[in-house]
Amino acid sequence: MKEKSDPWLVALLLLPGCGLIVLLVGAVVVMAVVQSVGYFNFAGESGFTLSHWKDQMSSHRLWRSFGYSLKIATLSSVLSVLAAYPLALWFRKPFKGSAFISSLLKAPLLVHGLVAAFLYVNFISFNGFLNQLLMFIGLIHDPIRMQNDERGIGVIILQLWKQMPFALLLLTGAVQAIGDDILLAAQDLGAPAFARFRKVIAPLTLKSLQAALVIIFIGAAGDYSFQVIAGPVNVNSITQYMYIIQNESGGWNQAAVVAIMLMAFSLVGSLALAAIAQAVVKRGQA
Amino acid sequence: MKTMNALTIDHVSLSFDDFRAVDDVSFSVKTGEFITLLGPSGCGKTTLLKLIGGFYQPDSGKILIDGSDVTKVPPERRDTTMCFQSYALFPHLTVAENIVFGLKQKKIRKDVRDERLREVARQVALETQLSKLPSMLSGGQQQRVALARAMAMRSGIILFDEPLSNLDAKLRDQVRFEMLQLQKSHGFTAIYVTHDQSEALAMSDTIIVLNRGRIEQIGTPDEIYKKPKNRFIADFIGTANIFEARIAEKIDGRRYIVETSMGRFAAESENPPQSDKLFVCWRPEDAVLTNTPRGENDFVSHVEVSVYQGNKTDLLVRMPEGHAPTFRIQTAGTVRHADGARVSFHIPAGCVKFLEATS
Repeated sequence: MKEKSDPWLVALLLLPGCGLIVLLVGAVVVMAVVQSVGYFNFAGESGFTLSHWKDQMSSHRLWRSFGYSLKIATLSSVLSVLAAYPLALWFRKPFKGSAFISSLLKAPLLVHGLVAAFLYVNFISFNGFLNQLLMFIGLIHDPIRMQNDERGIGVIILQLWKQMPFALLLLTGAVQAIGDDILLAAQDLGAPAFARFRKVIAPLTLKSLQAALVIIFIGAAGDYSFQVIAGPVNVNSITQYMYIIQNESGGWNQAAVVAIMLMAFSLVGSLALAAIAQAVVKRGQA
Repeated sequence: MKTMNALTIDHVSLSFDDFRAVDDVSFSVKTGEFITLLGPSGCGKTTLLKLIGGFYQPDSGKILIDGSDVTKVPPERRDTTMCFQSYALFPHLTVAENIVFGLKQKKIRKDVRDERLREVARQVALETQLSKLPSMLSGGQQQRVALARAMAMRSGIILFDEPLSNLDAKLRDQVRFEMLQLQKSHGFTAIYVTHDQSEALAMSDTIIVLNRGRIEQIGTPDEIYKKPKNRFIADFIGTANIFEARIAEKIDGRRYIVETSMGRFAAESENPPQSDKLFVCWRPEDAVLTNTPRGENDFVSHVEVSVYQGNKTDLLVRMPEGHAPTFRIQTAGTVRHADGARVSFHIPAGCVKFLEATS
């Protein structure tokens, strides 16, 4: 006989886990929302106002930051996934040394972003290793300025270096879960390698692909350390901008507006990316 | 009607590191024939099937389909389709999409695809399931989808890798007949892999028995069962009483007296024994129960275990002297035999086979 569960008991059991999450996330979101409309003002009078929203909405600097962060987050997540797929397929079947190579590729997960950014800057700096090497082999006569490039290529490279292993982790599991027979059947039925990828592998790994895109996008959209050390100086990322307006003018409430917009941006942007990925995979499958 | 062989395997070998999975195998298959590759686990039957399908390249030898050398042709360009043991249905595609997957790859026109889909779905009784995902189907239905997908391709040769092994006994029996009907009506050549000897005997025009990567015997089910070439085949196909024997006397051109641990008896064979020391065998159902032992090839023994099986009874018996090993006899009908009961039986000399002592 089916036992009737007590909803109060279920709620009580879920409370230590879900309750904590709701409390922590909720507290941050609520705090940011109320600050954005004038409350909890640490540098002046508190009270309801929409002026902080009006100020930020009309800020050219903010929208530039959004554009820049959108570019960085989108390119970082898409490139990470594109780089991870072939590797995941390569690691699908274990081979001699595959565990070692796989561990090596995942090593960036253990390196903090700040350290990675610092090493990267050392590598590409005016008198860094790369310039020295290029001059040594005679490809260039004078050092090239690569640090803090205007297009944010350095940040994208760092994001790729840091996030690709994460995408690899998710995709390797998904690719390994596809049975050999499924791929052999597709081949047997006339599908060459790329058709097998489009019609079988991509649809069957779609959930992992979307998860990787969403998580990498959110992480890259909220990046601060890579941007501060290796990013361009003529444009800010959203987080950098948020810090600047809080730090320069004590604008906690203005920063809260940016924080809410960043959260919305991460949510909408990552979901849009996941939806686009689904549409692309479905189209490829047809 | 094509007259050439649908498939020719010519001295094909394949090794994985030091393990020789397929060892100098040669045979031919006629168009429309149902061939079974039979053998125990690890004998190389699936490897051989995958060689035919193009999933492996042989180390040496050639594979010809309809007279053309396809040894180096990849699977997607061979005139073969494989039915996998796991069915290998695409879980994200509906039944209909699974069936037409290969046709789309081959760029078959949509109207032709739709017609084939309707045709094969009707043949395998899946018309009402076309919009479902494979996970919503039973094992038998999934098996039929795999079969329909292969048949829709209209390949000359369909390769079956133990396709019934995941089905329960009753369903296996049913699908077995359905497959045979479809094979006969479509006329495709079938290469069927199984380790189930009863399945092989029931379905095949020809059986190829493999062991340790080599062919042990090729023949019709009747030949394989009634004239096993060696001890391995006699033991592997059905049940056999196998004894080490010595030729004691040659009566005439085809009649011999052999000496075994169960005594002396006569054996008749068209093929002379290859040496004085060899193995002989007879099938449990060859034994004929008699009232009293009367002479040559008549024996008396005691029942150790009696297993009633409805239409027959299996007896595990031992000779009264006690030094002979136990052996099995099979009696038709429903006569029950108590454990320890005395039974007399006769083994016709023509039913005693000489086995090559090779394995």
